Amino acid sequence: MLIEIKNLSKDYVMGEVEVLALKDINLQIRQNEYVAIMGPSGSGKSTFMNILGCLDTPTTGEYLFNGTDVSSLTDDALSAMRNKEIGFIFQNFNLLPRLNALQNVELPLIYSGVKSEERRERALKALGRVGLADRIHHKSSEMSGGQRQRVAIARALVTNPGILLADEPTGALDSKTGDEIMVLFNELHQDGNTIILITHEQEIADHAHRTIFIKDGMIHSDNKNELNHKTPVFIQS
Amino acid sequence: MLGIIFGVASVITMLSIGEGAKREAIAKYQDLGVNNIIIRDKKMTDTELEEVRAKFSQGLSPEDASMIKEIVPGVVRIASQAEISSEAKYSDKSAKSTVIGITPEYTEMLNYKIERGKFIDDNQYKKELKVCVLGAGVAASLFRSEDPIGKMLKIEDQWMEVVGVLKSKALFTETVGELAARDLNMDVYVPLTTFLGRFSHENQLASKIQQITVQVDGSDKLEEASKVINEILKRHHYNNEDYSIVVPYELLQQEEKERQIYNFLLGAIAAISLLVGGIGIMNIMLATVMERTREIGIRRAIGARKSDIMSQFVTEAVAISITGGIIGVLLGVTLSLTVSLFTDITTYIQPYSIFIAFGFSVLVGISFGYLPAKNAANLKPIDSIRYE
Repeated sequence: MLIEIKNLSKDYVMGEVEVLALKDINLQIRQNEYVAIMGPSGSGKSTFMNILGCLDTPTTGEYLFNGTDVSSLTDDALSAMRNKEIGFIFQNFNLLPRLNALQNVELPLIYSGVKSEERRERALKALGRVGLADRIHHKSSEMSGGQRQRVAIARALVTNPGILLADEPTGALDSKTGDEIMVLFNELHQDGNTIILITHEQEIADHAHRTIFIKDGMIHSDNKNELNHKTPVFIQS
Repeated sequence: MLGIIFGVASVITMLSIGEGAKREAIAKYQDLGVNNIIIRDKKMTDTELEEVRAKFSQGLSPEDASMIKEIVPGVVRIASQAEISSEAKYSDKSAKSTVIGITPEYTEMLNYKIERGKFIDDNQYKKELKVCVLGAGVAASLFRSEDPIGKMLKIEDQWMEVVGVLKSKALFTETVGELAARDLNMDVYVPLTTFLGRFSHENQLASKIQQITVQVDGSDKLEEASKVINEILKRHHYNNEDYSIVVPYELLQQEEKERQIYNFLLGAIAAISLLVGGIGIMNIMLATVMERTREIGIRRAIGARKSDIMSQFVTEAVAISITGGIIGVLLGVTLSLTVSLFTDITTYIQPYSIFIAFGFSVLVGISFGYLPAKNAANLKPIDSIRYE
């Protein structure tokens, strides 16, 4: 079991108010699943994503990633988890503007301590996988939204992470480009990656094979997407 | 960065000025002899001289010298000298010079280096030979490119054979106590015995000799020796203060003390400049960190640890301060050279001062970059990513 979440709760204090963002969440995600997490704003889905992505720790409960209890890790250990196991993809790409595509993709490997030759090789491979082999020296400002998101995806892939965690990946793109990105995600899923998608758009969520609804800090529903028109049905072995 | 540049440049310039002054002083006192006590015959008006003679003092004399040699503890050697101002003549040229009658111990006591020929020896002294050794300036004026050795010079009405020429010496640019400023290169040396026999002072009442130089065997003996010398002379001169005792070492110490105050001030100025520079860097870095909050969040999200962020920003701070340091060093060196070229002030740039100044700039970068870097590292990734 890749991800196991048991009785997870998260609350925090905002000013004078105590906010109970997540209440007693229980969830399991297997390797190579393609999951969409949906919910209205304020539902706690962002908080949940932060915890999944090791950017935050739960107040109570357990988060086991590949058997390791993430909730009790030190700051450095969490950083290592993010580096090696989590591939983030953000709505507004979050590339470093002063670096070119290749350098952006290499960055996680620099923090892993990978030597420069191997780094370059792996970064080139990742960029090739997303179809940007001819754009490696371009900076953000020289690329379209779709291309930037591809670079971000390449950056997420380059460390061979356990999960790809995508937060509204098509939110800043027009529908045609958005479709292209979703096609790419499908391919990555077929490659064997585990994909967790956070979205508020049903159309995007329909690409996944399982949809989890979060509302008021709790899991409202958790269903397989049997009727999946946009993705070929993928049979797990 | 300006603060760093200015701070480093001023450290280097001030240090070089200080070092230049120190070396000048040492050279000056080196010539007078660091372990020496110099007793000078006081310059007095005719009336004063008459008074003093009436009170039984004969002025500085060879007897004073022998008493000092016998009684004062720690004396290694003693040299007496008599002086008159005169003109030295050679063929059609003449040079105004000070003719100094000296004893053979002279050579060993003072820093005189011979350029050609030899200095006056015991034999010439004993036999009262009419020989002379010329200062570099006199030789140049009278002989130009000719070899002075063996030539005959006329001083007063005496013919003297030149047996040696001295190397050029640093000039006294100021009066040291009673030692009047004088161009030492215009001195002509003859044996004291010859002098006393053949030259006479203008004024009949003048003392026989003008200076006694006493060398002791260690600077720790100077204080006691000069006290004893003072007692001896007081008694021998019947309480007439017609002499003065100059201890170059004490003067050197004095100047050293003054210089320390100067150095302290320089240090304070430099420290303040560097502090100001450091604060400037800190402010730049704090602003930079704020601007790059989002970037820091992204880096953290993809796996940078707090220490990675810290070293990134400390390195950037050090880069700024090192750049400032390099410019400051260049500026400081240029300033020092300019000052020594266009003013009277000598400067001396010591390599270690460049390293120190540079080292300080690195230190400033690290110290003042630390806080902003720590701020950067402690930003919460979740919040930072959302920061606009």
